[in-house]
Amino acid sequence: MTADADHSTVARMAAGDQAALAEFYDHHGRAVYSLAFRILRDQRDAEEIVQDVFTQAWRESRRYNTRRGSVMAWLMTLTRSRAVDRLRRRRSRPQSAAPADPRADISDSAAPADEQLIWTVRVDEVRAALDTLPFVQRMTIELAFYEGLTHSEIAERLEEPLGTIKTRIRQGLLKLRERLAGT
Amino acid sequence: MAMNDDHAVFLELASLYAVHALPDDERRAFEEHLRSCDVCARELRSFDRAVAALLRGVPQIDPPASLRDAIVAPGQRAGATARVARNASRWSAGWLAAAAMLIGALGLARYTATLRRDLAGLRQELQSALIRLDQTEQRLDAATRSVNASQLRIAVLMAPDLARIDLAAQPLAPRAVGRAFWSRARGLVFTASALPTLPPGRTYQVWVITTDRPISAGTADPDDRGTITAFFATPPDIPAPVAMAVTDEPQGGLPSPTGNRYLVGSAH
Repeated sequence: MTADADHSTVARMAAGDQAALAEFYDHHGRAVYSLAFRILRDQRDAEEIVQDVFTQAWRESRRYNTRRGSVMAWLMTLTRSRAVDRLRRRRSRPQSAAPADPRADISDSAAPADEQLIWTVRVDEVRAALDTLPFVQRMTIELAFYEGLTHSEIAERLEEPLGTIKTRIRQGLLKLRERLAGT
Repeated sequence: MAMNDDHAVFLELASLYAVHALPDDERRAFEEHLRSCDVCARELRSFDRAVAALLRGVPQIDPPASLRDAIVAPGQRAGATARVARNASRWSAGWLAAAAMLIGALGLARYTATLRRDLAGLRQELQSALIRLDQTEQRLDAATRSVNASQLRIAVLMAPDLARIDLAAQPLAPRAVGRAFWSRARGLVFTASALPTLPPGRTYQVWVITTDRPISAGTADPDDRGTITAFFATPPDIPAPVAMAVTDEPQGGLPSPTGNRYLVGSAH
Protein backbone atom coordinates (compact mmCIF):
# COMPACT_ATOMS: atom_id res chain seq x y z
CA MET A 1 0.00 0.00 0.00
CA THR A 2 1.47 3.37 -0.91
CA ALA A 3 1.72 6.13 1.64
CA ASP A 4 -1.06 8.05 -0.14
CA ALA A 5 -3.34 5.03 -0.17
CA ASP A 6 -2.60 4.51 3.52
CA HIS A 7 -3.53 8.09 4.24
CA SER A 8 -6.80 7.86 2.37
CA THR A 9 -7.65 4.60 4.12
CA VAL A 10 -6.98 6.19 7.49
CA ALA A 11 -9.13 9.17 6.47
CA ARG A 12 -12.00 6.80 5.65
CA MET A 13 -11.49 5.03 8.97
CA ALA A 14 -11.72 8.40 10.67
CA ALA A 15 -15.08 8.84 8.97
CA GLY A 16 -16.26 5.57 10.50
CA ASP A 17 -15.93 3.39 7.39
CA GLN A 18 -15.71 -0.26 8.53
CA ALA A 19 -14.63 -1.40 5.07
CA ALA A 20 -11.61 0.87 5.32
CA LEU A 21 -10.58 -0.84 8.52
CA ALA A 22 -10.86 -4.21 6.78
CA GLU A 23 -8.66 -2.94 3.95
CA PHE A 24 -6.21 -1.53 6.42
CA TYR A 25 -6.00 -4.86 8.21
CA ASP A 26 -5.70 -6.80 4.97
CA HIS A 27 -2.72 -4.68 3.95
CA HIS A 28 -0.88 -4.52 7.24
CA GLY A 29 -2.21 -7.33 9.43
CA ARG A 30 0.42 -9.81 8.35
CA ALA A 31 3.33 -7.45 8.99
CA VAL A 32 1.94 -6.44 12.38
CA TYR A 33 1.25 -10.05 13.38
CA SER A 34 4.67 -11.22 12.22
CA LEU A 35 6.45 -8.57 14.27
CA ALA A 36 4.36 -9.30 17.36
CA PHE A 37 4.99 -13.01 16.96
CA ARG A 38 8.72 -12.44 16.47
CA ILE A 39 8.88 -10.60 19.77
CA LEU A 40 6.48 -12.72 21.83
CA ARG A 41 6.89 -16.15 20.17
CA ASP A 42 3.37 -16.98 21.20
CA GLN A 43 0.36 -17.01 18.94
CA ARG A 44 -2.17 -16.00 21.54
CA ASP A 45 -0.13 -13.09 22.86
CA ALA A 46 0.64 -11.96 19.31
CA GLU A 47 -3.06 -12.01 18.41
CA GLU A 48 -3.92 -9.84 21.37
CA ILE A 49 -1.27 -7.31 20.44
CA VAL A 50 -2.58 -7.17 16.87
CA GLN A 51 -6.09 -6.54 18.14
CA ASP A 52 -4.87 -3.80 20.47
CA VAL A 53 -2.89 -2.14 17.70
CA PHE A 54 -5.73 -2.11 15.17
CA THR A 55 -8.23 -1.06 17.79
CA GLN A 56 -6.01 1.86 18.64
CA ALA A 57 -5.51 2.70 14.96
CA TRP A 58 -9.27 2.80 14.51
CA ARG A 59 -9.82 4.90 17.60
CA GLU A 60 -7.10 7.38 16.80
CA SER A 61 -7.59 7.59 13.05
CA ARG A 62 -9.33 10.93 13.44
CA ARG A 63 -6.30 12.38 15.14
CA TYR A 64 -4.02 11.25 12.37
CA ASN A 65 -2.41 14.10 10.49
CA THR A 66 -1.48 13.04 6.96
CA ARG A 67 1.49 15.35 7.00
CA ARG A 68 2.82 13.45 9.97
CA GLY A 69 4.46 10.81 7.82
CA SER A 70 4.29 7.09 7.30
CA VAL A 71 1.27 5.26 8.68
CA MET A 72 3.17 2.00 8.53
CA ALA A 73 6.03 3.37 10.61
CA TRP A 74 3.55 4.40 13.25
CA LEU A 75 1.70 1.10 13.17
CA MET A 76 4.87 -0.98 13.41
CA THR A 77 6.46 1.18 16.11
CA LEU A 78 3.30 0.87 18.15
CA THR A 79 3.35 -2.90 17.65
CA ARG A 80 6.93 -3.22 18.80
CA SER A 81 6.28 -1.10 21.83
CA ARG A 82 3.17 -3.03 22.90
CA ALA A 83 4.78 -6.41 22.30
CA VAL A 84 7.98 -5.56 24.18
CA ASP A 85 5.93 -4.19 27.09
CA ARG A 86 4.13 -7.49 27.28
CA LEU A 87 7.38 -9.41 27.02
CA ARG A 88 8.81 -7.44 29.94
CA ARG A 89 5.72 -8.07 32.02
CA ARG A 90 5.94 -11.74 31.20
CA ARG A 91 9.55 -11.73 32.35
CA SER A 92 8.12 -10.14 35.51
CA ARG A 93 10.75 -7.54 35.60
CA PRO A 94 9.82 -4.39 37.46
CA GLN A 95 7.82 -2.30 35.04
CA SER A 96 9.44 0.76 33.68
CA ALA A 97 8.12 3.89 35.33
CA ALA A 98 7.95 5.53 31.93
CA PRO A 99 4.77 5.18 29.89
CA ALA A 100 4.80 3.21 26.66
CA ASP A 101 7.36 4.40 24.17
CA PRO A 102 6.52 8.03 23.38
CA ARG A 103 7.61 7.42 19.80
CA ALA A 104 4.58 5.21 19.37
CA ASP A 105 2.32 8.20 19.89
CA ILE A 106 0.30 9.01 16.83
CA SER A 107 1.17 12.68 16.98
CA ASP A 108 4.84 11.87 16.71
CA SER A 109 6.92 13.98 14.38
CA ALA A 110 6.90 13.54 10.64
CA ALA A 111 8.77 10.78 8.88
CA PRO A 112 10.79 12.05 5.94
CA ALA A 113 9.91 10.83 2.46
CA ASP A 114 12.95 8.58 2.20
CA GLU A 115 11.98 6.69 5.34
CA GLN A 116 8.57 6.05 3.81
CA LEU A 117 10.18 4.42 0.82
CA ILE A 118 11.57 1.55 2.82
CA TRP A 119 8.10 0.26 3.57
CA THR A 120 7.69 -0.46 -0.11
CA VAL A 121 10.93 -2.46 -0.26
CA ARG A 122 10.38 -6.20 -0.30
CA VAL A 123 10.77 -7.97 2.99
CA ASP A 124 13.36 -10.37 1.64
CA GLU A 125 15.53 -7.44 0.55
CA VAL A 126 15.31 -5.93 4.01
CA ARG A 127 16.20 -9.28 5.52
CA ALA A 128 19.13 -9.67 3.14
CA ALA A 129 20.48 -6.35 4.43
CA LEU A 130 20.09 -7.56 8.02
CA ASP A 131 21.85 -10.78 7.11
CA THR A 132 24.96 -8.88 6.08
CA LEU A 133 25.55 -7.72 9.66
CA PRO A 134 28.22 -9.60 11.57
CA PHE A 135 26.60 -12.03 13.98
CA VAL A 136 27.63 -10.31 17.20
CA GLN A 137 26.40 -6.90 16.02
CA ARG A 138 23.09 -8.27 14.87
CA MET A 139 22.62 -10.31 18.03
CA THR A 140 23.30 -7.29 20.23
CA ILE A 141 20.87 -5.11 18.29
CA GLU A 142 18.22 -7.84 18.39
CA LEU A 143 18.55 -8.25 22.14
CA ALA A 144 17.68 -4.57 22.51
CA PHE A 145 15.12 -4.20 19.76
CA TYR A 146 13.15 -7.44 20.01
CA GLU A 147 13.84 -8.55 23.57
CA GLY A 148 13.60 -5.14 25.19
CA LEU A 149 16.92 -5.28 27.03
CA THR A 150 18.88 -2.13 27.85
CA HIS A 151 22.56 -1.81 27.00
CA SER A 152 23.61 -2.71 30.53
CA GLU A 153 21.26 -5.69 30.67
CA ILE A 154 22.79 -6.95 27.44
CA ALA A 155 26.30 -6.45 28.83
CA GLU A 156 25.35 -8.41 31.92
CA ARG A 157 23.79 -11.22 29.90
CA LEU A 158 26.73 -11.61 27.55
CA GLU A 159 29.28 -10.94 30.30
CA GLU A 160 30.94 -8.25 28.25
CA PRO A 161 31.92 -4.67 29.03
CA LEU A 162 29.22 -2.05 28.56
CA GLY A 163 31.48 -0.11 26.20
CA THR A 164 31.76 -3.13 23.92
CA ILE A 165 27.99 -3.46 23.75
CA LYS A 166 27.49 0.23 22.97
CA THR A 167 30.13 0.19 20.26
CA ARG A 168 28.66 -2.94 18.74
CA ILE A 169 25.17 -1.49 18.55
CA ARG A 170 26.45 1.69 16.98
CA GLN A 171 28.65 -0.09 14.46
CA GLY A 172 25.88 -2.48 13.52
CA LEU A 173 23.42 0.32 13.00
CA LEU A 174 25.91 2.36 10.95
CA LYS A 175 26.50 -0.67 8.77
CA LEU A 176 22.79 -1.26 8.35
CA ARG A 177 22.27 2.41 7.47
CA GLU A 178 24.94 2.14 4.82
CA ARG A 179 23.51 -1.11 3.40
CA LEU A 180 20.05 0.35 3.16
CA ALA A 181 21.11 3.62 1.61
CA GLY A 182 20.57 2.23 -1.88
CA THR A 183 17.29 0.40 -1.34
CA MET B 1 22.69 24.33 20.23
CA ALA B 2 26.25 25.18 21.01
CA MET B 3 28.63 22.29 20.89
CA ASN B 4 29.86 21.33 24.30
CA ASP B 5 31.71 18.48 25.91
CA ASP B 6 28.57 16.48 26.37
CA HIS B 7 27.67 16.63 22.78
CA ALA B 8 29.81 13.82 21.45
CA VAL B 9 28.27 11.62 24.10
CA PHE B 10 24.77 12.53 22.98
CA LEU B 11 25.60 11.82 19.37
CA GLU B 12 26.77 8.36 20.41
CA LEU B 13 23.51 7.86 22.22
CA ALA B 14 21.44 8.39 19.07
CA SER B 15 22.07 4.85 17.80
CA LEU B 16 21.35 3.33 21.21
CA TYR B 17 18.16 5.36 21.43
CA ALA B 18 17.12 4.27 17.94
CA VAL B 19 17.13 0.59 18.92
CA HIS B 20 15.60 1.25 22.37
CA ALA B 21 18.72 0.18 24.24
CA LEU B 22 18.76 3.13 26.66
CA PRO B 23 17.52 2.79 30.22
CA ASP B 24 14.81 5.27 31.21
CA ASP B 25 17.04 7.93 32.77
CA GLU B 26 19.39 8.08 29.78
CA ARG B 27 16.46 7.97 27.39
CA ARG B 28 14.84 10.95 29.05
CA ALA B 29 18.09 12.91 29.09
CA PHE B 30 18.59 12.23 25.40
CA GLU B 31 15.04 13.27 24.54
CA GLU B 32 15.53 16.48 26.46
CA HIS B 33 18.71 17.10 24.52
CA LEU B 34 16.99 16.30 21.20
CA ARG B 35 14.59 19.17 21.62
CA SER B 36 17.35 21.69 21.22
CA CYS B 37 19.87 19.88 19.06
CA ASP B 38 19.40 19.62 15.31
CA VAL B 39 22.59 17.66 14.87
CA CYS B 40 21.41 14.82 17.08
CA ALA B 41 17.92 14.96 15.60
CA ARG B 42 19.41 14.51 12.14
CA GLU B 43 21.62 11.70 13.38
CA LEU B 44 18.61 9.93 14.85
CA ARG B 45 16.65 10.43 11.62
CA SER B 46 19.47 8.89 9.67
CA PHE B 47 18.66 5.59 11.38
CA ASP B 48 14.98 5.61 10.38
CA ARG B 49 15.49 3.19 7.53
CA ALA B 50 17.56 0.85 9.65
CA VAL B 51 14.87 0.84 12.32
CA ALA B 52 12.20 0.30 9.67
CA ALA B 53 14.23 -2.69 8.46
CA LEU B 54 14.20 -4.16 11.97
CA LEU B 55 10.45 -3.66 12.22
CA ARG B 56 9.83 -5.14 8.80
CA GLY B 57 12.57 -7.72 8.41
CA VAL B 58 11.16 -10.49 10.58
CA PRO B 59 9.93 -13.86 9.28
CA GLN B 60 6.52 -13.23 7.76
CA ILE B 61 3.69 -15.45 8.90
CA ASP B 62 -0.01 -15.33 8.20
CA PRO B 63 -2.24 -14.47 11.14
CA PRO B 64 -5.14 -16.86 11.79
CA ALA B 65 -8.31 -15.96 9.89
CA SER B 66 -10.25 -15.73 13.14
CA LEU B 67 -8.15 -12.72 14.05
CA ARG B 68 -9.38 -10.77 11.05
CA ASP B 69 -12.97 -11.50 12.03
CA ALA B 70 -12.36 -10.27 15.54
CA ILE B 71 -10.85 -7.03 14.28
CA VAL B 72 -12.98 -6.06 11.32
CA ALA B 73 -16.34 -7.65 12.16
CA PRO B 74 -19.03 -4.99 12.55
CA GLY B 75 -20.46 -4.58 16.01
CA GLN B 76 -17.20 -5.29 17.76
CA ARG B 77 -15.75 -1.84 17.44
CA ALA B 78 -17.47 -0.55 20.53
CA GLY B 79 -15.91 -3.23 22.67
CA ALA B 80 -12.26 -2.44 22.48
CA THR B 81 -11.21 -5.61 24.18
CA ALA B 82 -13.11 -8.25 22.21
CA ARG B 83 -10.88 -11.26 22.05
CA VAL B 84 -10.61 -14.14 19.66
CA ALA B 85 -12.32 -17.28 20.90
CA ARG B 86 -9.75 -19.89 21.63
CA ASN B 87 -10.91 -23.46 21.58
CA ALA B 88 -7.55 -24.93 20.84
CA SER B 89 -5.22 -25.11 23.77
CA ARG B 90 -2.58 -22.46 24.12
CA TRP B 91 0.03 -25.13 23.75
CA SER B 92 -1.21 -26.50 20.48
CA ALA B 93 -1.80 -23.07 19.01
CA GLY B 94 1.68 -21.87 19.88
CA TRP B 95 3.22 -25.06 18.65
CA LEU B 96 1.37 -24.90 15.40
CA ALA B 97 2.38 -21.31 14.79
CA ALA B 98 6.00 -22.15 15.47
CA ALA B 99 5.77 -25.11 13.14
CA ALA B 100 4.12 -23.00 10.47
CA MET B 101 6.89 -20.47 10.73
CA LEU B 102 9.57 -23.09 10.35
CA ILE B 103 7.88 -24.70 7.44
CA GLY B 104 7.25 -21.39 5.74
CA ALA B 105 10.86 -20.42 6.14
CA LEU B 106 11.92 -23.69 4.62
CA GLY B 107 9.95 -22.87 1.53
CA LEU B 108 8.10 -26.16 1.52
CA ALA B 109 5.30 -24.70 -0.49
CA ARG B 110 2.98 -27.62 -0.24
CA TYR B 111 3.15 -27.83 3.51
CA THR B 112 2.72 -24.11 3.81
CA ALA B 113 -0.37 -24.22 1.66
CA THR B 114 -1.78 -27.06 3.74
CA LEU B 115 -1.10 -25.16 6.92
CA ARG B 116 -2.61 -21.94 5.62
CA ARG B 117 -5.80 -23.78 4.79
CA ASP B 118 -5.84 -25.31 8.23
CA LEU B 119 -5.25 -22.02 9.96
CA ALA B 120 -7.99 -20.39 7.92
CA GLY B 121 -10.42 -23.18 8.64
CA LEU B 122 -12.39 -24.22 11.62
CA ARG B 123 -10.79 -24.64 14.99
CA GLN B 124 -11.32 -28.41 14.86
CA GLU B 125 -8.98 -28.40 11.93
CA LEU B 126 -6.22 -27.42 14.28
CA GLN B 127 -6.51 -30.73 15.99
CA SER B 128 -6.08 -32.79 12.86
CA ALA B 129 -3.33 -30.53 11.60
CA LEU B 130 -1.60 -31.07 14.88
CA ILE B 131 -1.71 -34.81 14.47
CA ARG B 132 -0.27 -34.53 10.98
CA LEU B 133 2.39 -32.18 12.21
CA ASP B 134 3.25 -34.52 15.02
CA GLN B 135 4.15 -37.05 12.37
CA THR B 136 6.57 -34.62 10.79
CA GLU B 137 8.07 -33.61 14.09
CA GLN B 138 11.35 -35.30 13.35
CA ARG B 139 11.69 -33.47 10.08
CA LEU B 140 10.96 -30.18 11.81
CA ASP B 141 13.50 -30.99 14.45
CA ALA B 142 16.18 -31.27 11.83
CA ALA B 143 14.93 -28.14 10.15
CA THR B 144 15.24 -26.25 13.41
CA ARG B 145 18.97 -26.42 13.08
CA SER B 146 19.17 -24.54 9.84
CA VAL B 147 16.14 -22.30 9.84
CA ASN B 148 15.83 -18.99 11.52
CA ALA B 149 19.25 -19.33 13.02
CA SER B 150 19.22 -15.84 14.35
CA GLN B 151 16.04 -16.38 16.34
CA LEU B 152 17.26 -19.67 17.72
CA ARG B 153 20.46 -18.06 18.90
CA ILE B 154 18.57 -15.28 20.60
CA ALA B 155 16.31 -17.85 22.25
CA VAL B 156 19.38 -19.49 23.74
CA LEU B 157 20.79 -16.18 24.89
CA MET B 158 17.53 -15.29 26.62
CA ALA B 159 17.30 -18.64 28.39
CA PRO B 160 17.02 -18.38 32.18
CA ASP B 161 19.49 -21.25 32.56
CA LEU B 162 22.15 -19.72 30.32
CA ALA B 163 25.72 -20.88 30.93
CA ARG B 164 28.80 -19.53 29.20
CA ILE B 165 31.93 -21.44 28.34
CA ASP B 166 35.02 -19.71 26.95
CA LEU B 167 37.31 -21.82 24.79
CA ALA B 168 41.03 -21.14 24.60
CA ALA B 169 43.47 -21.57 21.74
CA GLN B 170 45.49 -24.75 21.38
CA PRO B 171 48.93 -25.07 19.73
CA LEU B 172 47.48 -25.89 16.31
CA ALA B 173 45.48 -22.67 16.26
CA PRO B 174 47.29 -20.25 18.55
CA ARG B 175 45.14 -17.24 17.64
CA ALA B 176 41.80 -18.99 17.76
CA VAL B 177 39.22 -18.11 20.36
CA GLY B 178 35.78 -19.52 21.01
CA ARG B 179 32.76 -18.93 23.16
CA ALA B 180 29.69 -21.03 23.78
CA PHE B 181 26.35 -20.19 25.35
CA TRP B 182 24.45 -23.23 26.52
CA SER B 183 20.92 -23.68 27.76
CA ARG B 184 19.64 -27.11 28.65
CA ALA B 185 16.20 -26.23 27.37
CA ARG B 186 17.13 -24.29 24.26
CA GLY B 187 20.42 -25.52 22.91
CA LEU B 188 23.89 -24.26 22.21
CA VAL B 189 25.17 -21.15 20.46
CA PHE B 190 28.80 -21.49 19.47
CA THR B 191 31.09 -18.82 18.06
CA ALA B 192 34.75 -19.03 17.21
CA SER B 193 37.25 -17.04 15.21
CA ALA B 194 40.71 -17.39 13.69
CA LEU B 195 40.35 -21.11 13.04
CA PRO B 196 42.63 -22.39 10.26
CA THR B 197 41.21 -23.79 7.05
CA LEU B 198 41.11 -27.58 7.17
CA PRO B 199 42.19 -29.89 4.35
CA PRO B 200 39.41 -31.18 2.07
CA GLY B 201 37.34 -33.92 3.66
CA ARG B 202 37.88 -32.62 7.20
CA THR B 203 35.48 -30.56 9.27
CA TYR B 204 35.39 -29.00 12.71
CA GLN B 205 33.32 -30.84 15.29
CA VAL B 206 32.11 -29.23 18.50
CA TRP B 207 32.04 -31.41 21.65
CA VAL B 208 30.14 -30.98 24.86
CA ILE B 209 32.17 -32.85 27.45
CA THR B 210 30.18 -34.28 30.33
CA THR B 211 31.41 -36.29 33.30
CA ASP B 212 30.49 -39.43 31.34
CA ARG B 213 31.82 -38.77 27.88
CA PRO B 214 32.14 -36.23 25.10
CA ILE B 215 28.87 -35.67 23.25
CA SER B 216 28.90 -34.29 19.74
CA ALA B 217 27.06 -30.98 19.40
CA GLY B 218 27.59 -31.02 15.65
CA THR B 219 29.96 -30.05 12.89
CA ALA B 220 30.64 -26.63 11.41
CA ASP B 221 32.81 -25.12 8.74
CA PRO B 222 34.39 -21.71 9.20
CA ASP B 223 34.04 -18.91 6.66
CA ASP B 224 37.10 -17.57 4.86
CA ARG B 225 38.08 -15.53 7.91
CA GLY B 226 38.06 -18.61 10.11
CA THR B 227 34.85 -17.62 11.86
CA ILE B 228 32.18 -20.06 12.97
CA THR B 229 28.77 -19.04 14.24
CA ALA B 230 26.46 -21.96 14.80
CA PHE B 231 23.39 -23.03 16.66
CA PHE B 232 23.21 -26.63 17.84
CA ALA B 233 20.16 -28.29 19.31
CA THR B 234 21.50 -30.34 22.21
CA PRO B 235 19.48 -33.10 23.91
CA PRO B 236 17.85 -31.65 27.04
CA ASP B 237 18.69 -34.74 29.10
CA ILE B 238 22.48 -34.57 28.81
CA PRO B 239 24.44 -34.03 32.03
CA ALA B 240 25.72 -30.49 32.57
CA PRO B 241 28.85 -29.89 30.50
CA VAL B 242 32.11 -29.75 32.39
CA ALA B 243 34.04 -28.62 29.34
CA MET B 244 33.85 -28.09 25.61
CA ALA B 245 36.27 -28.80 22.82
CA VAL B 246 36.62 -28.37 19.08
CA THR B 247 38.47 -31.01 17.04
CA ASP B 248 38.93 -31.75 13.36
CA GLU B 249 37.17 -34.87 12.16
CA PRO B 250 36.19 -36.49 8.88
CA GLN B 251 33.40 -34.78 6.94
CA GLY B 252 30.09 -35.46 8.67
CA GLY B 253 31.68 -35.91 12.09
CA LEU B 254 32.17 -38.93 14.33
CA PRO B 255 30.42 -40.22 17.48
CA SER B 256 33.49 -39.50 19.61
CA PRO B 257 36.54 -37.31 19.05
CA THR B 258 39.58 -38.68 17.26
CA GLY B 259 41.22 -35.63 15.71
CA ASN B 260 43.42 -32.77 16.84
CA ARG B 261 42.15 -30.25 19.37
CA TYR B 262 41.82 -26.64 18.24
CA LEU B 263 39.87 -25.09 21.11
CA VAL B 264 39.28 -26.26 24.66
CA GLY B 265 37.48 -24.64 27.56
CA SER B 266 36.21 -25.67 30.95
CA ALA B 267 32.77 -24.77 32.27
CA HIS B 268 34.09 -22.92 35.29
